[in-house]
Parts: sequence; structure tokens; C-alpha cells
Amino acid sequence: MKDIQEPVYLEDKLKEIEQSGKLAYRSQTLPTWCPGCGYFSIVEGVSKAMTELDLKQEETVCVSGIGCASRFPFFMNTYGFHSLHGRALPVATGIKIANDDLTVVVLGGDGDAFAIGGAHIPHAARRNVDITYVVFDNGVYGLTKGQTSPTSVLGFKTTTTPYLNMDEPLNPLMMLLSYGASWVGQAYAGEPHHLTDMIKQAIAHRGFSYLHVLSPCVTFDKTSKTYQNLGMAVRPLPATHDASNFAAAMAAAQEIDLPQLGVYFARERPTLCDGLTEITARAQGGSAGQRAAAG
Amino acid sequence: MAKPEHYVIIGNGVAGGEAAYHLRQRDQASRITMVTVGRLLSINRYELPKLFTEPNLDWRDFLLNPPEYYADQEISVRRNTWVTNVEPTKRQLVLRHRETLSYDKLLIASGGGRHIPEILTQYRDLMMKFGTYEEARSVCNALPKGGHMVMLGGDMIGLDLARALVKGGFRVTVIGKDFLFWPHQLDPDEKESFAQVLRDMGVGVITDYGAASIAADDRGPAVRRIVLASGETLDADVLLSFCGLMPSLAFLAGAGVDLERGVLVDPHLQSTDKNIWAAGDVCQIWSPEEKQYRFYYGWGNVKRMGQIAAFNMTGGDESISTFQDERLVVTGSGEIDSPYWHYGGDSGG
Amino acid sequence: MTSNAKTDIQIAICGSAGDGTIAAGDILKQAMAKAGYNVIAFDVYPPEIRGFGKCVARARITSEQVYSLKGKSDCLISLDDSHAIPHVRELRKYGAAIYEDTPMSDMAEGMHISGHLEPGHLPYGVPMREMSERITSSGRSRNIVAVGYLAGLYDMPAAVFHEVIGEKFARKSPELGASVRSAFDAGFEAGAGSFRLHFDRIGAPGSAGRHVDLIMMSGNQALVRGCLDAGIDTFFGYPITPATTIMEMLAREMPKHGGRLLQTEDEISAISAAIGASYAGARAATATSGPGLALMSEMMGLGAMAEVPMVAFVSQRGGPSTGMPTKTEQSDLNLAVYGVAGDGQRIVLAPTNVEGCWKCAGKAFEMAERYQTPVIVLLDLYLSNRYEAVELPDENPFASDCSKWAERDSRARPYSRYRITDDGVSPRAIPGNPGNMHTVTGLEHNEQGRPNDQPATHQEMSAKRHRKLLPALHHPGITIEKRFGDAGKVDVGILGWGSTFGEILEAMFEAHKLGVSCAAMKVVMLSPLPVDPINAFMDDCDAVLVPELNYEGQFAALVTGATGRAVNRLNRVTGTPMNVHDIVTEICRLAGRTDSIAAE
Repeated sequence: MKDIQEPVYLEDKLKEIEQSGKLAYRSQTLPTWCPGCGYFSIVEGVSKAMTELDLKQEETVCVSGIGCASRFPFFMNTYGFHSLHGRALPVATGIKIANDDLTVVVLGGDGDAFAIGGAHIPHAARRNVDITYVVFDNGVYGLTKGQTSPTSVLGFKTTTTPYLNMDEPLNPLMMLLSYGASWVGQAYAGEPHHLTDMIKQAIAHRGFSYLHVLSPCVTFDKTSKTYQNLGMAVRPLPATHDASNFAAAMAAAQEIDLPQLGVYFARERPTLCDGLTEITARAQGGSAGQRAAAG
Repeated sequence: MAKPEHYVIIGNGVAGGEAAYHLRQRDQASRITMVTVGRLLSINRYELPKLFTEPNLDWRDFLLNPPEYYADQEISVRRNTWVTNVEPTKRQLVLRHRETLSYDKLLIASGGGRHIPEILTQYRDLMMKFGTYEEARSVCNALPKGGHMVMLGGDMIGLDLARALVKGGFRVTVIGKDFLFWPHQLDPDEKESFAQVLRDMGVGVITDYGAASIAADDRGPAVRRIVLASGETLDADVLLSFCGLMPSLAFLAGAGVDLERGVLVDPHLQSTDKNIWAAGDVCQIWSPEEKQYRFYYGWGNVKRMGQIAAFNMTGGDESISTFQDERLVVTGSGEIDSPYWHYGGDSGG
Repeated sequence: MTSNAKTDIQIAICGSAGDGTIAAGDILKQAMAKAGYNVIAFDVYPPEIRGFGKCVARARITSEQVYSLKGKSDCLISLDDSHAIPHVRELRKYGAAIYEDTPMSDMAEGMHISGHLEPGHLPYGVPMREMSERITSSGRSRNIVAVGYLAGLYDMPAAVFHEVIGEKFARKSPELGASVRSAFDAGFEAGAGSFRLHFDRIGAPGSAGRHVDLIMMSGNQALVRGCLDAGIDTFFGYPITPATTIMEMLAREMPKHGGRLLQTEDEISAISAAIGASYAGARAATATSGPGLALMSEMMGLGAMAEVPMVAFVSQRGGPSTGMPTKTEQSDLNLAVYGVAGDGQRIVLAPTNVEGCWKCAGKAFEMAERYQTPVIVLLDLYLSNRYEAVELPDENPFASDCSKWAERDSRARPYSRYRITDDGVSPRAIPGNPGNMHTVTGLEHNEQGRPNDQPATHQEMSAKRHRKLLPALHHPGITIEKRFGDAGKVDVGILGWGSTFGEILEAMFEAHKLGVSCAAMKVVMLSPLPVDPINAFMDDCDAVLVPELNYEGQFAALVTGATGRAVNRLNRVTGTPMNVHDIVTEICRLAGRTDSIAAE
């Protein structure tokens, strides 16, 4: 009887939550996810991160595609765009270009991102659009009740692969690093505090931030990416990891069976909107750099 | 089936046009190509004087045949096209725009241009021409109402025009020391008596002196001042030269076909090359009676020549018979008449 | 010197791209427009990139307004005989052919155009190459010599050509401009010195009282001008013939006005970014052709369901599938009007001329905002590339903001993005407006925008989304249908759309000359369709003819579907504009006048 925990009273807890302010970011709609779904941690993390970053709700836009993860915007009390399967990134790019004062967070699942949406990722990343892309990777298509996704493990049995899944899963972190994303990180729904911190860093980063969140699907994946398996496999990136070293990031990203959590890579470079501003300056005579130098 | 023959006719005057018609009649399967430097289809140039009495005509009214005729008869007319060489060994023509044209049988019907007497050649650019529709129309545009035309020479083509001008209320003066009534050969008394008939018709005729010099005049772009050998001056609104025809055969130099002033042909109109014939004002025909090569002028003659050439090119065996009466006469109504002036009536095309 | 004769001369210049064929046509049409003539021009390009393919630049120069090119040209200029020879048939009887008389090398029989001219044609061989080399020390100004010869031959005013040449070379290379001008003058002198055998005359420019200085504009140029006048903020596009030049022109112009343009990785991305930008309150558009529109159809559905403004310019080309990228057609009507999953009706506009491209472009932004819906503006390759001498007003007629806005801060009561209103348009909020946070979605939703698939919800929301579009039929400042020709009852009525309407008008005038009573109606708004005016028109006609450049009679089916009345179809898919003569023949046939059909 060494560590007796203090009792936690519901009323106190509710007051604490209310006072934290993060509820302001939550809409009145209750999430439609299954109990135990990792996505609950993500929505908690996003709300907390927005509170801590003091983002204005009316200047925040959550953009999603289609899927369980893509239901996210309905649960947030910000502006939202629940668009089409795989198309969240270009929609978000359009929003950002129209008004670069907005904070744009893109959310989606692994199918939305890497199957149908795969063609848009290289371009959003290489253009360094100043948005945050949070991908909830559960290795399965949940909303349509359990088919394989591009991150499903080899051999995984699902409704469309009743014998076995023959496709090698792709490596999202390596992909995003090679596409030139200027911030790449990985988190785990089972470590919510770390997750929140990652979300905060990702949003704060000026440029295209990619946060890969490992998140079990308790309903359709009982064998592969479960809390049990992931809980044993995940570990933090070594303290010596140099996030400015691209080669180190790529090497670390290859450890797909023993996923490492943390910031893999981060660097500053001009964003898409920086470029568009420069174009405008040139078209109107003189460059933005010259103007800035001129004072 | 034998390969269709390709008949090429250089020149699209009356002789060439007549030949094309008969060639098509006698060889339906053949290809027929006419080549001419002018821009227009065959014009009846003997009718051009009508421009002065009926100024609203345009070139379509002078066509021997409408465009549809050439399309129906499948006669190709390459206009605005100059022949630079004829190569009888290869049976090819070289055109100035660097295209080669092959032929099986060739008819030279390039006619004649105006002849300018040697002493006046330096003034040739001051004389307007009358051979094509464009030239005739330009003369017509340059001659004001009731204006004065001066003609050097006075050959039958010129006199035909003079006749029309006088009817149209214009003034005409012919400086006819030489070439008056060409190609008729007249002795001086005959010439003078016919000249008087002309004067009675209203045409001014000068027979004693020729032109010595010609100058442009600032009263107008076509206006000329002519100084006669006597020193007398004559002012003309337009000046033309009608001193006979000179066959157009520069392109035949080096072809190896016998030439004198014209293309020398036998009474079958065949030249010294067995695949080349000639017809019209360009050819000199051997006359057994006269024992010399001679020209035959006039619409009737050139038309007949075109027909005979076509017959013979398609395997026929016709020869030119001596032509009829070549005499100049005065009609009962006091007009001059010449066999060279007969045209119109039925024709081949 | 100009007479009082009416002018109607069409010139076709044939050559390869490397011959400066298009440039020659450009100088001709700019000059004659400057001189105050009506000009309609359309150039045909080869699909190859390298310079050997055939180009034909055609320009019709008239003193009165006309609406299409003629089936036959009055003058044919050949800059390359191998390309021009197949077009000899296009030259009318007594038309003039201008061609090279001093080619570079020997040629076999039949290779020179002079051997192919018809007996009724007038030949004008010009030593273009020799003159060009003599004056400019290179053969590259042959095309200019030819244009000069043409201008001299037809008594066109040389001064306007000098101006156009001067302007063309002013910035880059004035010495080259002087040399080009000399080449033009040499050609002009030669042409002016040629005897006038042809019967076409250049009369006085236009009817009295019209502005002299018209601008030559293509459909795409006018469309771009409409976008800029309407204050376009963002543009996203993917290169596709024949819409690429729209993006290229906007890429140069938009940044000058603070606008932003991005070439995306595909058409889906383009339309997605456009809808995102519109959602955020910007005026956004994309431009594509049929294949691109096919890719965009899912997003069009999202725009309809989520009620987000979108503007898409679609220039149709030969289809289906990759089809004929450099040929014109009108076969994407079905895709534009119907092509979406579900009942996703949107607004579709189809201008009939270059000025209409300008007007529809600007109005598209107004309508997209006003009715919170996708708007598709349908052009075709012919209209995109057809030049007309137009006069655009100095004053900008487009409203800069047509949105029905929600109160900017309605924290007091919750904001319903999809509130059902009388006119069906819900007050709109955009990111940045405090208190009006909401999520737009492609799922069926209730007034708050929450996903909701209940029977009553879907029924009412479907009705709302369709009801709100009907006022577009009366949107101010744009003519969406118009009748021309004889008033009252007529023998034959022609219903048409898009660029074909030019040919339809010309056919109607021909029919009038033949004594057939005939009227024509253009329909510019294809969705929603102005059914009442169409019905009224059809009531007046004994027979109705619908000529269009597609095989399946798409507009005919649209009209029949909406009115329940059959029409006569005239369908052509030749990849070229409709032949006026074909329409006239059909009109006469329907009017029972087979005797009147004259040969062309």
C-alpha cells in the first residue's frame, strides 16, 4: 500500500477541463468513433495544442477527406471543410493561398492520405505549403468496415484480402522525407502527452508539417497494430538524434517495425505563400527582398 | 492500257486554245496542259478593241471559254508560268519557278509579241502595249474621252483598233511610213490609195515621214510628244507600236529545233523534232509553192493551224494548204477589209 | 483608297509553322482591325511542336458585322505549296492565289501550286524569297513580303500595317522592325503595281458612328480580361489544350494586381484548390477541357452539395477521351450539365462570341458567389482561338461582391450555414468571421451543416439547392437567350449554342436572301435552361433545327428533355467549325425549298 492515489472527483475534473479552455475548440457534436479508438487522443491533443498556442477559433480551419479520421472537423469548433476522399491537401492549399493568415490543419487516415490521396502529397510537401498534416495511421479502412490500406502489414487478413494481403506496406515517413517535407514527426495515440506536444510543434512549425500518428483500430484490427503490439514496439528517437540531419532522419524512418517517436526532421525554408508574395512583388516591380532591404 | 499521253501546249492564244479543244476531242484519255505567261485563260484578243466602245466589259467577257469548260474538258491551264528551257531529248520543259514538266508531245503556240523597229527600240518603254487584256484595259483607262491615240507602223491589228476607236469618237493618227497594212505587201501606189480610204474613214495617216524621237510629257503618265523626221511634232494621249509581230521563242534557244525568225515547220506543222509541233504566229511553214518558209497571220489562219497541229499530234496526216486570198480590199460601203480581220462565227471551242 | 463598296474578303494563309504563317495572319488582322474593319479570324495549328506542321491563318475582313468565317476564301496565300495545295479547293471562283515564284530548289512536276490552281482562279506568283533576301538579307521575311503584296493588290491602307509592325517590334528590336517594314513595302509596291483582275474591293471600314480603333481579341483573351475585370483573386490550373493559354495569360497578369496563381499537379488538385480558395472567400477559378472536366466531376458534386462557389472555364475539343486535342467540337455539354454523381445541378453558361467570353467570365464569378454553386463556362477550341474585332466598355460592369453574407459575428445565436430561406440562398460566412464557425461537407446535412441522412432533410435540402438556382435565369447584366431574325411566325427556327451560333446567323441571312422566313435563337444559359423563352420560340416555328458540333445531339436532347418537343438535328463532328452551307441546305429542306439550294 505504498502509493495511495488521491481520489479524483468528477466535478473537479470537469472544472479543470473547462478551465483549460480546450473545450472551446470542441463542437457540440460527439465523435462517432468507437470507444477505445486512438482518435480520441488525437482530438484531445489538437484541442490542447490549439489552446496552448492560443489560436483563434475563427482563424483556424480543419480540412479533411473521407474516412473515420476525416470526421474530425465536425468535432471541432473551428471552420472546417470535410471534402473528398484523398483531396484534403489541395483543398487546404487553396484555402491557405486565399488567406495566409489562417491556420490550416489537415487531418485524414492512412487510406485517404496514401491510397487515393497519394498523388497530392509530394506537391504539398515540396511546395512547403504552410499547413499541418496529421495522418491517423491505423493500417485499415475503418469507415467501410475493414479493408486493407497502404500501411496494412503483409499478410493482414481483411474482407477484401480474406486469404492474405500480398502488398508490402509503404513507409510514410521515408516518403514524406523524400518529398522534401520541412517537418516530419511521429507520435502514438497511446502516449497522449507526447502526442499533444508533437501536434503543437507541428502546428507551430512554419512550413509543411507532417505528423504521423500510430493509432489502433480497436474494431477492425485485432491482430496487427493493437495497443498491445504497438505499446511494446514504440520507443522514442534517441536523444542524440539530430533533426537537422536528413540522412539520419531517413535512416531512423526505416525502422518501421520498431517505430520511433519524435521529431525526425525539421528545417526552415520559404513557404509557398512566401513565393507567391515574391512573385507579386516582382510583377509589380522590384522583389520583396529588395523592398525589405530598402526598409 | 497504255499510259495516257501528255500533250503540252505553250501559249494559250487562239492557236493553242483550238489545239487543246481538238486534242481532247481526239484523245479522251490524255492529259492536256497549256502553259502561258499571262494570268488569264484564253482571251480572244482580236475582240479587245471592243473595250473602247463598250467600256463596262471585263475580262470574263473576252474569254474564249469559261472556266467550267477547262474543268469539264480536263484541260489544265498553268498561267503566270514562264518556260525557261525545252529539253527535247528528255522531253521535258523547265519552268522558271524551277519545276520540270514532262511531255509526250509538245505544241509551241506562243505567238508573237510586238516588233519595234531598230531606230525606235530606245523608246520601247514609252510605248504602251495592246497584246493582253490587262494591257488593252490599261490603254483604255489612259485614253481620255475623245482623246488622241498615235500608232507607229499601222499593221492590220493596229488598223483594226483604229477602226474601233474612230467609231468610239476618239482620234487616231497612224505614223505609217513602214509597216502600214502589214502583213499585206503593197506597192507604193496601192498603199497610198488604201491610206486615203483610211483617211476617209477618219483615221489620220502620215506616210511621208517616220518618227525620229519620242519623249514623255508631264501632262500625264501616258502622254507622249513625238517628233517626226521632218521636225514636226505630234502630241499623243497614248502611244502604241503596231509594227508587226515578232515570234516569242526565246525559250527555244539551245533546244536544237530549227529556228529562223520563227519555228520552222513542215506543212504538217511538225518541227525538226518529231515530238514538237508549232502553230500560230510563232511558226514559219514551208510553202512548196513559194519555196520558202513563211508566216500566216490572222484569226482564221491561226485557228486552222491549231486544228491541224492537234490532228497531226494525234496521229493525223493533214497539211496546211495554201491559204486563200490575202488581198486587202475596199468593200462596197467604202471600208477596208482584210482576211486577217475575219473572226467570230463558229469556232471549235 | 476606299470606295463605298461593301467589304467582305476572306484571306487564308497556308504554310508551315516555321514560315511565319501565324505571324503574317496576326499582322493582317491587327492592321485591318486598327483601320476600323470588322475582322473574324481563326488559325489552325498543327498538333506537332516542331515547325513543319501545317498552319492555316484565316481572316475575314468586312465592313459590316458578320458572325463566322466563310466556307470559301477570296484569297489564298501559300507560304509552303505542299501545305497549301490541299486548300486550293477552298479558294472561290475568281479568287486570287498568291504564291512563291522563286523557290529555293528544283522540284518535280506537281510540287508547285501553280499546277493545281483551278481554271477560275487568278494566279499571282510573287518572288517572295528573292525579295526578302534582297531587302533583309534573309529569306525569313517572305511572309511579310506576301502580306505586303496582298495589301497592295487589294488597296489596303499601308499606314496601319506600318503601325502594327512598328508596335510588334518596338520593344524588342526596332532595327528588325525597320527591316520588316521594308519587306512589307516592297511587297506592297509589287502588289499595288499589279493589274486588278479580281473583283473584290476594300470599301470604307465600318458603318458611320462606330469607333475606329477596335481590338482584335481571341475568346481566351477576352475570357482572361473578364476574369481580371471581375477581380479574380486566385487561379489554379493544369495545362491542357486549348485552355493552357488562359492560365499562361493569367500567370502574367494576376500577380500585377496582387492575384495568386498556381499550376497544380493535376486537374483534381486544381479544382480542389479552387474550391478551397472560394470557401475562404477568394474569387477562384480553374480552366480546362473535356478530359479535365471529367476528372473534376466529383469536386463539382462537392461544390453543389457543400454550396461553395466555384468557377470552371471549359474549352471543348474533339472527344471522347483524349480525342482530337487541336480540333474543335461541342461534345461536353452533357458532362457540363449532367456530369456529377447525384442531383448536383449547377449553372452552365456557353457564350457564342468573343465578347460573350468576356461577359460570361465576369458574370460567372458573380453567379458563383450569389448562388453559392459551381458555375461552368463552356467555350470550344474554335471560340477560344477565334479572333474578333471587339470593343469592350471602359467601365467595369462586374460587381466585386455578390455574396449574401451572414452577420459577421453571430455568437449570440448559433450560425446555420445552410439555413433554408425563401430564395434558397443561405447567408454565408468565411474563415475569419468570428462566431460563425461551421464545417462544410459533401455529406447531406441539416441547416447547421451536421451530417444528416433523414428523409425530410434530404428532400428539403435537395429542393433548396435546386430552387436557389432559378433566379440565375434573371441574373442582371447578362443576356442568357436572344432571338434574331424574322419576328412572329416563321417557317424554320434555329436553336443554337456556343460558337456555332455565328454560322447559324450567317445561314439565317442566306436563308432570308432565298426568301425563307427564318429566325434564330441563341441559348447562353444551358443550366438552368430558360424553358419558357425556348417554348415561346418553338411555338413560332413550323420546324426547329438544332445544328451542333457533336454526334449525339446533346443540346437537342437537352431541349427535347426540357420541353417534351422534338427537334430536327444537324450534327457534325468534323473537328472544324460548322459549314454555313450545310445549315442553309437543311433550312431549305425543312422549309420545303429544295430548289433553292445553290451550289457553293
